[in-house]
Amino acid sequence: MKIPGHTAVGMPGKRRTREGPLAWLAAASVALSLIMLGALLVLLSVKGLSNFWPATVHQLTLKGGETVIGVPLETRELPSRQGLERRYLTANRDDGGGIWRWLANDQITEDTTPEDLVVLERRHWGTFFGRLVALQSGDQRLTGPDAWTVLESRLKEINALRDERRRLTHDEILPLIRSMEDQDGHRSEDRRLADLQRRASELQQRMQGDLVVLENGQGRRQEQALAEILEAWRPNAMAWHEKLGHWVRELWQFLSQGPRDANTAGGVWPAIFGTILMVLLMSILVTPFGVLAAVYLNEVAHQGRLTRLVRIGVRNLAGVPSIVYGVFGLGVFVYGIGGSIDRWFFESTLPSPTFGTGGLLWASLTLALLTLPVVIVATEEGLSRIPLHQREGALALGATRFETLTRVVLPMATPAMLTGLILAVARAAGEVAPLMLVGVAKLAPQVPLDGEFPFLHLERKFMHLGYHIYDAAFHSSDVQAAMPLVYATALLLVTVILVLNLTAIFMRHYLRKRHGAPVRR
Amino acid sequence: MLLAVVAIAVFLLVEVLPLFWPDGASFPLEALWSSPDVSGEPEYRWLPHRLDDAAVPQASLAPLLWGTLEAAAWALVVAIPLALGAAAHSSLYMSPGLRARLKPTLELMEAMPSVVLGFIAGLALGPWVERHLAQSLSIVVVLPAAVVLLALGYRWLPDRLKAALTLRWAALWLIPCLLLLVWLAMSVAPMWEGWWFDGDLRLWVEESWGLDVQARNALIVGLAMGFAVIPGIYALAEDALSDVPRELAEGAQAMGATRWQTLTRVMLPVALPGVFSAIMIGAGRAVGETMIVLMASGNSALMTASPLDGLRSLASSIAIELPEAAPGGSHYRLLLLAALALFAFTFLVNTLAEVVRARLKRRFTRRKGDA
Repeated sequence: MKIPGHTAVGMPGKRRTREGPLAWLAAASVALSLIMLGALLVLLSVKGLSNFWPATVHQLTLKGGETVIGVPLETRELPSRQGLERRYLTANRDDGGGIWRWLANDQITEDTTPEDLVVLERRHWGTFFGRLVALQSGDQRLTGPDAWTVLESRLKEINALRDERRRLTHDEILPLIRSMEDQDGHRSEDRRLADLQRRASELQQRMQGDLVVLENGQGRRQEQALAEILEAWRPNAMAWHEKLGHWVRELWQFLSQGPRDANTAGGVWPAIFGTILMVLLMSILVTPFGVLAAVYLNEVAHQGRLTRLVRIGVRNLAGVPSIVYGVFGLGVFVYGIGGSIDRWFFESTLPSPTFGTGGLLWASLTLALLTLPVVIVATEEGLSRIPLHQREGALALGATRFETLTRVVLPMATPAMLTGLILAVARAAGEVAPLMLVGVAKLAPQVPLDGEFPFLHLERKFMHLGYHIYDAAFHSSDVQAAMPLVYATALLLVTVILVLNLTAIFMRHYLRKRHGAPVRR
Repeated sequence: MLLAVVAIAVFLLVEVLPLFWPDGASFPLEALWSSPDVSGEPEYRWLPHRLDDAAVPQASLAPLLWGTLEAAAWALVVAIPLALGAAAHSSLYMSPGLRARLKPTLELMEAMPSVVLGFIAGLALGPWVERHLAQSLSIVVVLPAAVVLLALGYRWLPDRLKAALTLRWAALWLIPCLLLLVWLAMSVAPMWEGWWFDGDLRLWVEESWGLDVQARNALIVGLAMGFAVIPGIYALAEDALSDVPRELAEGAQAMGATRWQTLTRVMLPVALPGVFSAIMIGAGRAVGETMIVLMASGNSALMTASPLDGLRSLASSIAIELPEAAPGGSHYRLLLLAALALFAFTFLVNTLAEVVRARLKRRFTRRKGDA
């Protein structure tokens, strides 16, 4: 701040040195806060994005003559403080159980990175590190470099077949079965189902038949059906642009696929979808209420003691812990209203609840209540920024108060409302505690939106990015294995929220420039 | 809006009240605040799952209350100095351009989802601190001391450097300095660990103080929650300071006061209620925060004063246990009682803070009107 009468900036006079150490500590606290924020973001980005990069696989020879294949992850001091040890990801869970191994540096006699090491991503048992010995396709047995080229092309075919089969099951067979459950059996539908099922098993048939012979670090061989393998790559033989391509592909799969292996592998698409859907529903619920309340408070109501009380109420609502909203949602929406709906409309399925358990609708309602103050405060701020003479001008030209409101004031305040809505969405996307009570699921087999009437299933449970982080980080069988994915999910969530917030900040900045300071009344 | 507040209060009250009616609860209510003597020594315990079939009900809310307050207290210990320091610095010293950018940046900090903070604190920071206890302690000790030394040594810097490194931009050019200091602190840590603590601080703490260092402890929770609370306190405290009429500050400086003296003797006394309400709102947020405590605290319902032990708070108990508690049962009502306590506390704190703020604001605007 430039203060009148103060020593000029260019002249380092004695006054500045007399500010004392506390002033410097205050400055340092700003710097420290910024460092903490930066460190958090850097940590998340590095750990979240590096996971998809095809890491170099090392082949180690130990002192006893044993060979280990693995990716080095972290280095620590030995407990005895003599030397270092390193943690290797050795994968191959089907071969001995563990997928990690701590090796002291002085145990290792040789460390090489041969180009023929392969990494396989499998449907079961996770990742495989080792060598490809042969590919058995029918009577044909291929070895050497041929095996690798054929393996790659066959994998492409199999993945295409798998996609087709998934589409067939999800889009045609399952809906058909469900509709047949409702209205018991027509002959034509029976035939159609049998036909579809035959096509599915045909696809399955075409995927199978090939075997790969693999060799692990110890030289032990094993056979693996090719249909079990999702992806194969040879990281040590890849050039950097191939690695980049692989990285982009992995990232895309993370965003577009469902989770595998009890949420420790695969992607987060259902969680992204659930989060977006819930936030959309919440926006639809919260916007009219929030805007109406703000308009009433700022434009219609008499600015007296009662309005002040209501304002305090709004601020209070913003300060209530989110878990209390969760409790309220569970007690009132789920057990109260949901239970009643069940008793009136879904009596046939009781005691298994339809609406009387956590679900999409209740979660959206709870979060709408939670974000209501955000929308109100932002909209009110926008309304109070609109210059008084705009309103007076409209009134002077003969508009009624209602016309002034709808034609002049509200259009001018629209960006402010949007800002409030964006902030509300950002808040809702990051909120997890209330969702744990009102309808989030660890793994939801069915997405709440599909091609089946009534298309949007408000009673279903859904997956959520934030809860996915909590669940994968704390409830998975092997937390260490889930960590890279948790970092990636956390990065995704933080990115979404930061982008939303930045948008809101820029919009507010633009508004301030256009309308100036708020009008105090 | 009032309706929503009232609805929450009424709902919680209606659900909780049966506990206090005669025959309403399936266990004697003294259990809530007593410490039954089960295994040799009296101890406060929270074992609500065995509420209905246990001979001695062990459902004392005391350890949960203690955990909640302990976590919030540590969060405030971290957040208050940082947030108030930042507010003081940015309202008095910082260049206006930088300040206009700092505020949104700290808003971003506030927007960080608490699951992510809890995850980082519980699974990345906690284990790291557990392994690098000496380094962490070293950072905490060295940073403030070094900044004080820097401030004292500033006067002997060459003039040209002094002109470049002014307090106006200190928040930025201190960042690399602090990073350097962090690195320095970490690299000297093994040395003094060897001199004073026989080479292993953790063992030393355990032997001389009898404290076992948990990876997830109250200090980690405090740090993560402090991070979450800093921006809120900062924003409100900064508002309070910049609402102080400028004539006051200018008058003080015209009389020859330094800016720090202006702050402590003139501005702070005027803005004190506002700063106080900022802290209150921060405390309210810290008490109700769920995910950070849930993920970074280990969730053991202990009643120990040691900051290196785990804890369990009211909010995280609700989050864990409520989905499994049968609606209408004693356990359910107990958890709702906990929610009511949280609601009542934050309600009181926020109302008080809000009233103080509103009053302060009106005082200043009236004074401006008089002038």
